[in-house]
Amino acid sequence: MKRAAALFSRLYPTTFIGAAIVAALPLAANDYHVTLAVNLCITLILTLSLNFVVGYSGQFHLSHAAFFGAGAYASAILAKECHLSPWLSLLGAILVVAVLGALIGLPATRLKGLYLAVATLAFSLFVEVLVNQGGSLTGGGYGIQDVPPLAFFGSRLSGKSFYLLALVAVIVTVLVLNNLLDSKFGREIIAVRDHPDAAAAAGINPAATRLMVLVIAASFAALAGWLHTFYYLNLNPAVVSPELTFIWFFMVLVGGLGSMTGVILGTALLTLGPEFLGFAAGQTILAIGVLLVAVTLFAPRGLAGLIADLRRKVSAEGAA
Amino acid sequence: MTLASMVQVLLSGLQIGSIYALLALSYYVIIIATGILNFAQGEWMMVSGVLGVTLLSVGLPYPIAFCGGIVGATVLAIAAERFIIAPLQQRQASEAITLLALFGVMLVVRYGTGAIHGRLDEPLQGPAGNHVFRLGANVFVFSQSLVIYGATVAIFAGVVLWMRFTWLGSSLRITAIDPLAARLVGVNLNTVRTVAFALGGLIAAIVAWLYAPLFAVGYLTGAIPGIKGFIALFVGGMASPFGALVGGLLLGVLEVGAARYLPSIYAEGIAFALLMVILFLRPNGLIAPRRAR
Repeated sequence: MKRAAALFSRLYPTTFIGAAIVAALPLAANDYHVTLAVNLCITLILTLSLNFVVGYSGQFHLSHAAFFGAGAYASAILAKECHLSPWLSLLGAILVVAVLGALIGLPATRLKGLYLAVATLAFSLFVEVLVNQGGSLTGGGYGIQDVPPLAFFGSRLSGKSFYLLALVAVIVTVLVLNNLLDSKFGREIIAVRDHPDAAAAAGINPAATRLMVLVIAASFAALAGWLHTFYYLNLNPAVVSPELTFIWFFMVLVGGLGSMTGVILGTALLTLGPEFLGFAAGQTILAIGVLLVAVTLFAPRGLAGLIADLRRKVSAEGAA
Repeated sequence: MTLASMVQVLLSGLQIGSIYALLALSYYVIIIATGILNFAQGEWMMVSGVLGVTLLSVGLPYPIAFCGGIVGATVLAIAAERFIIAPLQQRQASEAITLLALFGVMLVVRYGTGAIHGRLDEPLQGPAGNHVFRLGANVFVFSQSLVIYGATVAIFAGVVLWMRFTWLGSSLRITAIDPLAARLVGVNLNTVRTVAFALGGLIAAIVAWLYAPLFAVGYLTGAIPGIKGFIALFVGGMASPFGALVGGLLLGVLEVGAARYLPSIYAEGIAFALLMVILFLRPNGLIAPRRAR
């Protein structure tokens, strides 16, 4: 009971803030707001899982966009060409991407730091070429149109009902990742990140732990890709652009590397901010560049760090 | 697959390979001295070309536009080091943070140029004009190609000699081997870092005048060569400048060969596939460091 209460109090801010912000949006909804909310849900799954790899496990992986894009394309191809049920195509997509994650993750466990970053970036660029040159399977530069929609007991999921599905997916992601980090496996992840040699001496296999983290994160990226496919019902190669990884990375950084609450805040701020400020596409990317430099220089621990500093200052003043 | 076509493939491969090799060299001087992969290298090249085109368009003579472009881009590289990299290094920021900051610099320079200069690509005249020499029945050489080969040899020789025979160059070499020991013998790591970024920027800025005349120059010009440059470096290895040279030339010849003889999927993907294979099988690159016996 006590443990459950502790878990609840630890989960409370994470889930509450995320759910409150996201859930409030479509209440005032027109279609545009619903699309924004679904987009935010998809991006949240991506940044949370990226943070799992980079923030908690300390692996500098730059292949998240490839996993997302592969998941989106696998879902679309399975549902449209193989006539698989759209729900089953989720399992198919996760399977495909998990195998892809293991394929790149297995040799990558030997690499560290910059070498890992460059190898996984090369992988991401390679996947982009494959999708662009995939012929009739991926539709090349045109992508895939008219994917069959998702239905739930006979009623088609779109707009607000789809948003509820996406919201459930985000909550599942938060709960699963939080529970994983709270488990023995979670402590192994941190141990391997901070002291790989000591962890190995204690009987943990660092390579296996790193690989497992990557496969789990890749599976969540596939879930995000599946949501993307069945919300928009058409796809183009922009979903595999390696630049996306950097953008999500930036959101994680603004939120605070290794803090789930921070990442949720950072993602919400950076996904919705430019929309409400009415930036055009070219301005957004320039603004992201400026912000990226400013954040790394002046607030490297992100929003989570700023909040922690503020809290410390307030409690110090209270004590004085 | 006639002999003439193979010679032509080899020549074009070596030409684009020289560009990759020089950019790899510009990454190399920075990475060995600081451990930083400067994502923005391609952008210094782009700035040098765009600045040159702009100076030419206001009617300045070619040599002044040439020097202006190169100096402008190099100054920008030094400014990025002084105002962004130096504070990050002082704080001992992680590799991930530094790489993200440089990605930010890359975006600012690229899309800032797009906003200021406009989004149109413009032609840039090569330093030696557009002459064509005929070597055989189907084999041609352009004057710009000769400029590229010559500049590649000269710059590589210059950097190797500089690193061996000058005090600053030796400082760079010592820092690459052991930063702590370098400090003990009186090397100022701050100076070395600035010099490395300046030299890297200078090389990339010169490359603009080799690469851009082959195509055109605009705000996106730096993107693809920038990526190919660091791929060439990781393929060749960082044990010596020859890694950059071998990696660049190999990548260039393979790419042109694949484009000529294989379906387009191979030509576009070969660089990335090659890099993955090399990093997984031989992480130190093709030209491995000499082992202490």
